[in-house]
Amino acid sequence: MEFLSLLDITFFLLAALGALVGIIFGAIPGMTATMAVAVCLPLTYALGLNHGLALLLGLYVGGISGGMVPAVLLNIPGTPSSITTTFDGYPMAQKGQGERALKVCVIASLVGGLISAIVLFLFAPILADFSIKFSYVEKFLIIFLALTVIASLSSNMLVGIFSGVIGVWLSLVGTYSISDGGNGKTRLMFDFMEPYLFEGFSLLPVLIGIFGISTILLEAEKGVKSGLTNEKIKIGKGAGFSLSVFKGRLTNLVRSSFIGTFVGMLPGVGGSAASVLAYTQERNLSRDSSEMGKGAPQGLIASESANNALTGGALIPLLSLGIPGDSTTAVLIGAFTLQGVQVGPLFIPENADTWYVMMTALVFANFVMFFLMFYAIKYIAKVIMVPKHILFPIIVMMCVVGAYAINYGIMFDVWTLLIFGVLGYLVQKVGLEVAPLIIGFILGSSAEVYFVKTLESFGTLSIFFTKSPIAVVLWILILASVAFSIVMRLKSRRELKADLPASRLNKEELS
Amino acid sequence: MKFSKTISVFGSAVLMASLAAGASIASAADGPLRGNIRVVIGSTSTGGDTYQNSSIVVDKLAERLDLNMKVDAVGATAAFRALDRDSRGNTLMIFHDQSYLGYLYGVEGYDNIFEKYTVGPTVAINPGNAYLVPKDSPYQNMTDVMDAVGNGETVRVAIQPGGVSEIGFSAMKNAVSIEHPGMEDNLVAVNTGSQADKNQQLFDGQADVINGSVQANEQYTRLPEDDQKAMRFVWLTARNGTIEQAPEDGMGQTDREQLLEFVEPNVTVTMGDSENFTFDKEFFFLYNKDMDPAIVEQIDTALEEIYAEGEIQEIQKNSFFIPNFKPSDEAAAYLKDKMTRYEGIINNIQ
Repeated sequence: MEFLSLLDITFFLLAALGALVGIIFGAIPGMTATMAVAVCLPLTYALGLNHGLALLLGLYVGGISGGMVPAVLLNIPGTPSSITTTFDGYPMAQKGQGERALKVCVIASLVGGLISAIVLFLFAPILADFSIKFSYVEKFLIIFLALTVIASLSSNMLVGIFSGVIGVWLSLVGTYSISDGGNGKTRLMFDFMEPYLFEGFSLLPVLIGIFGISTILLEAEKGVKSGLTNEKIKIGKGAGFSLSVFKGRLTNLVRSSFIGTFVGMLPGVGGSAASVLAYTQERNLSRDSSEMGKGAPQGLIASESANNALTGGALIPLLSLGIPGDSTTAVLIGAFTLQGVQVGPLFIPENADTWYVMMTALVFANFVMFFLMFYAIKYIAKVIMVPKHILFPIIVMMCVVGAYAINYGIMFDVWTLLIFGVLGYLVQKVGLEVAPLIIGFILGSSAEVYFVKTLESFGTLSIFFTKSPIAVVLWILILASVAFSIVMRLKSRRELKADLPASRLNKEELS
Repeated sequence: MKFSKTISVFGSAVLMASLAAGASIASAADGPLRGNIRVVIGSTSTGGDTYQNSSIVVDKLAERLDLNMKVDAVGATAAFRALDRDSRGNTLMIFHDQSYLGYLYGVEGYDNIFEKYTVGPTVAINPGNAYLVPKDSPYQNMTDVMDAVGNGETVRVAIQPGGVSEIGFSAMKNAVSIEHPGMEDNLVAVNTGSQADKNQQLFDGQADVINGSVQANEQYTRLPEDDQKAMRFVWLTARNGTIEQAPEDGMGQTDREQLLEFVEPNVTVTMGDSENFTFDKEFFFLYNKDMDPAIVEQIDTALEEIYAEGEIQEIQKNSFFIPNFKPSDEAAAYLKDKMTRYEGIINNIQ
């Protein structure tokens, strides 16, 4: 219990400050948890390892959680892992249930964060050993499984798959990076585009553009006046929140938290896959998933518990293998490096005090995040009451600043934001589907890397089916996910057909 | 801790956070270098040696020059581009031998640094570039690996192509071509990316040898043999003299004496003409070609003073770096010579 002497007031204040600043970073479109940690990383020099970690872990938890605010209220995923939060959060906000949606998100986030912290504390070394059983083959299959959400998310399966393929195609623009074992040559572009698109389209400007800017364009098209009065009437109605929302959702909450932790601990799979996967599973396994995507709290529970569970999950390989689980922990590892502390398989046994300090900071940051957000929500939710002619220009400005800042001052990222904003608007006008497109975009490039690396390593396609029992299980899940979507689609079509003659009959009777 | 101190630490953290967020105002400085200075590095990782070493140097330099300087881990291509755009001296770059090895290997985005940029001072060596095998590998040392290749066995080496990670592999291949002519094809490169990927190749049995580093892999070498993750060093590419300068305690629980077992003359990879291949990963500054030479001079002088004080050497050694300050002119001539030597090896095996 020697580590208790390391926990002073400064430690807790720094963790709380981290959570607060993190929430602000996460809530501003274009600013992410990764960026917050990167900006404050040099502070670990002055603060020392333990105080530095308190601040950085606070930023991490806050940054991941803060993403829910713009996702729900403005349809802009504040961080890539809150993309699935927009699916149900924004429709709820439009129905005047923004506050309720955010409260659901905050509670789900807390539960997800705590479950993953417990898993991290109790099982880190064992799970790290399990995670190295996931080679390129299994990682490809995990991403493939997450991609199957496209089938269940689309309102028209063919159009959805087509949109998803466009997303994958867009994600491949640029180079197959040398750091991924590629040849570093550009592709899918004309020569004159090379200076801009050498590294492809940046994820966040694309996300913010396609969700945020296009939403603003669509709203602006409706006209400012009518929109404003609508919001005025709707706000406050049905906004009440009670814990009964979670009734019958415990399985979803726990399952999604475990999915988040699990995906987090697989290096290189990516944080966004966690919430997408949790959302898919809820959609497939829940008895009443028909409302998902139209404003169902269960979608928020799945998404937010999974993305906060990512925090503990991503720390598992970091602290047990010295390998960061996601982009934020990749920056966080710098705190150890700067202090000359090695992270690797023997980190936990050799640095027990630091380990306990980290766990304390992680749990404490989750509670701070909860209290800060839960009680601030009713004020935050009022954002949508701001008249749109004032709100929209502010959002656009914040998006532009965020896009410019995300890669430390690349102007093309601002153009990416605007191009994808217009593209997102047009895509919806021509009837393509945005959600599958963006999921294809997020997951496409890592799917490619793992697919190519598998073939390079094993030299045969059959390895995807025969590599390991884990691969077989993943194939079963993939097939089940696709089959479920098809069955659901056929069922709803039958119901629609059954309804049609009846309504026609009614009409005839009326006439 | 007293409450007032708590408040002051907390307050300074808030203040520093806002400074780090870019809200700082450029401080006044006397020399030609002024304003906010961005130091881009050739790696995107903040957990790697480039960031760590650059932070140590830039921290001291900022203090000495009384300037606001910040290290940005943007990666090689973005860093070169940032440097191309700024001839005022407000963007500087720190990178290592990858900057010219990338060019020698023909990697996209790399040019001849000696023609396109001004090569600045060297600051440190990372002596940790290593090759490892699984702990239960039949290959006990590099001789076993070379003999196996010479006897027609295929040996797979996981590397990241096009740079520091590949140069050791090229040297091995060159050595095979000298000692076992015609058998070079038995040494196969497995192209991967990050250290995590290389480790995973070993765990999966898809590679027999991997490139790694003392810093990243030392803990793995202390795992019991029945652990799937356990590894063994077989070769450190650094010069014997470089490791000799490392702290006696070495890294983790592997001391300097143990590390010396893996460098020449205990482990030899021939370059021909009775010369052994060695490779020290050296960090140095790169500047925009059109930058004011007075800035080059200013940084040289400042670093000379910093190294003369001796404190930075201690910090570098504690982080397992070997201090290695050479002023710009000396560094450029030295690195150009180094490039020529490795160019020979790469040409030999093509």
